Amino acid sequence: MKHRRFPFAFLCSALALASVRGEACAADTVPPLGPEAEDPYLSELIAAARAQGLGHDKAWLRLGRWRPRLLGGYESEADGADFFLAHDGKKDPAAELEAMLRGLFAPEPVAPADVRADHPQCRFPARFAYLARRLGLDQARIPLRSCPRFADFWRRVSGRSVALVFSSYYLNNPSSAFGHTFLRLGKSDLGTPGERFELVDQGVDYAATPDTSNAVLYAFKGLTGLFRGEFTARPYFYKVREYADYESRDMWEYELALQPDELAMLIGHLWELGQTWFDYYYATENCSYHVLGALEAVAPRLELLSHVGKVTLPADTVKALFANPGLVRAVRFRPSGRTQLQARASGLTGSELERVTELADGGEPEAFSRAPEAERVRLLDTALDLVDVRHGRAIIEGSDPAADALRQRLLERRSAILVASEPLAIAPPRSGGPERGHGSMRLGVGAGASSADGPLVVLDGRLALHDLVDPPAGFSPQTQLEFLKFRAALLPRSRTIRLDEATLFQATSLNGFGRLERRVSWKARAGAIRVVDAGCPGCVAGGFEVGGGPAVLARGGALAAAVTADAELLGAPDLRGMAGGPLRPGVGPGGLVRVLVGDRVALLGTASWRWLPLASPRTTFQLGAIARLHLGAVSLAAEWRRSPIAQEGVLSLQVFAR
Amino acid sequence: MRQARWVIAILVLATGTAYAAESGGIHGTGRYGTAGCGLGSLAFGDQKGAIQILAATTNGTFGTQTFGITSGTSNCGESAVGMAGTKTFIEGNREALAKDAARGSGETIDTLTVLAGCKDSKAVGAVLQKRFTALFPGEGVAVEKVSEAVIGTLRTESSLACGAIG
Repeated sequence: MKHRRFPFAFLCSALALASVRGEACAADTVPPLGPEAEDPYLSELIAAARAQGLGHDKAWLRLGRWRPRLLGGYESEADGADFFLAHDGKKDPAAELEAMLRGLFAPEPVAPADVRADHPQCRFPARFAYLARRLGLDQARIPLRSCPRFADFWRRVSGRSVALVFSSYYLNNPSSAFGHTFLRLGKSDLGTPGERFELVDQGVDYAATPDTSNAVLYAFKGLTGLFRGEFTARPYFYKVREYADYESRDMWEYELALQPDELAMLIGHLWELGQTWFDYYYATENCSYHVLGALEAVAPRLELLSHVGKVTLPADTVKALFANPGLVRAVRFRPSGRTQLQARASGLTGSELERVTELADGGEPEAFSRAPEAERVRLLDTALDLVDVRHGRAIIEGSDPAADALRQRLLERRSAILVASEPLAIAPPRSGGPERGHGSMRLGVGAGASSADGPLVVLDGRLALHDLVDPPAGFSPQTQLEFLKFRAALLPRSRTIRLDEATLFQATSLNGFGRLERRVSWKARAGAIRVVDAGCPGCVAGGFEVGGGPAVLARGGALAAAVTADAELLGAPDLRGMAGGPLRPGVGPGGLVRVLVGDRVALLGTASWRWLPLASPRTTFQLGAIARLHLGAVSLAAEWRRSPIAQEGVLSLQVFAR
Repeated sequence: MRQARWVIAILVLATGTAYAAESGGIHGTGRYGTAGCGLGSLAFGDQKGAIQILAATTNGTFGTQTFGITSGTSNCGESAVGMAGTKTFIEGNREALAKDAARGSGETIDTLTVLAGCKDSKAVGAVLQKRFTALFPGEGVAVEKVSEAVIGTLRTESSLACGAIG
């Protein structure tokens, strides 16, 4: 790179060429060295900045992450002291602006050891570009500095485009259950025009750096901001291997229509963010929050954070993009390893699938070597994907030599057929990306009757995110994930309020137990629930429940049926539990059937039976059925429940909101 | 009384959720050490059992330390046209590249073709497929051996005209 003095490429792009006075972007004009002590031009600039009120300008506040405080004044979300040049920069954006202006005139540092010792022009290129534009900096009157470190980053990124990437809900990892978002900075100047080589792009994400291996401490620290969150950059292929292959999560890429100067500002701003850290809050100031914050900072025309709630869900950040018309230029879908396997398998006959599983089990299908070449290619390609879905993790971890050997044998067999496989074209799922999903909060009001309590007025609600009979668009049909759900009934006859349910979280993961994969479906719930049998009629008991078993899926998951072995534990002071105590364990079978008819109609039937050892009564059961008709942001619901002491039916109106 | 009821509910809950958070997750073996840019080295280099919590906290399974934006960018931080970038790419995509090589086509071969400055990805795919057994002898072999062998093949096969790795 020839730009050893200052990455002129950056400054010129960031300023969109026109706004620098003087030798606009003709680079290599060597400016005179400015004296350090209050250069007259510096005084001029400070006066101009004050006159314009730049210290509280929206774009400046966004660049420094200053947010208004409840009791007046500002405070920056950035927690690393290195992010500020002024002593009180964290709380005083105007002071920081003047410190930055002074910094522009600072003497050249001697052999700076790391980025923190670099010249302010190099450490804060986006701030520099912002000031250059707003104050119309005269290049000839400011000594421009060389920035080898930033120039190196600029070259490494070679940014030509930017996309926000959503990697789908991943129930097996608590922190990724709601999905994850990060940025992909595209290098589109490789190869011939029109070709895309996303794997060598840079992925930039914001994540917590944990410092504990204690689960309880982790949960506590994650929720209360005791971890540091930092921005990192790495080749995009690491992200693809991690999410799409290793964790089998589909990825959605939203290419953003940023102006060239905004894109340059983004790269400069990420460089600034790389020098600080933020307190990481799992629910609020998380990956999605800070990614949107970075985009907003470099394109003040965008309104992104105002479109997400206090709790920042990754899916909501995608919706926030769409709330700015024209911002999303293209949407792309990158299928996970499992999605690729399903696509390959969907073209095979039953007997072919049988041979695929035989190959993937390490066997030799009858007369396989005599099968036509095209057929052997098809079967080996599918078997290889199957082996990766089954054993990919163990192979990367190096923990299963037998799986290594199996994969190697199949790879060698496949390579011996000197025919190239056709590219696998996979259409995005019909249910669409997260932008099509319903609002994660749900509130319902309804009326009904109970055989025990008479007429009912039912209120229910949930903070997030999705259950098996919510509108299916934008979500996996196989997943339920709910946080903070409640249900209460007003009983006019006895003039009381009955608490039915206060659930902390509830999750269900339906996985097909089929020919290719024998994955167990599972469910888990924790919270308080009303006891509906003779053990303590009407008591509210705290507890949790887990269950697992096989499921059958059809029609892309629209039809699902599962049988589970369940275990639960309830506790309440008045409960006639085990040996007369307040704790009541229970075990028994459970089952569910779910049918989705298009995007509009969803039906769910559930059943469970429990044996309650040494408790009174000795057994209990529950049956339930729900039908929902989805009409946009509103759904009509009919629900029926049956328990040993009562049955009730309720009709309700459900509203979805952010 | 009401209060006692909730205390019990919360206690039961607390044990339940703590357990749920503890179970599941993955454990690395550390077999790969810090060599090369392979996924194993990134994910499991020095972390061993902590990988589970790492995965649960950072939103990522593969560690973050080596990819700071301004500091400590490892050699694995960039994949660009040329020798070093090609090597990083091969090592970081080892498993995926092996599969594409066995199939003679795929995204990693297209990308490798561009990084190494070769003329035609179909030809690159055909060569890697033909030499598969020698180039990708299995996971037991160090990842640098794989990148060395693949780059060596691309360089010596003059018909591929891989100009960027001279």
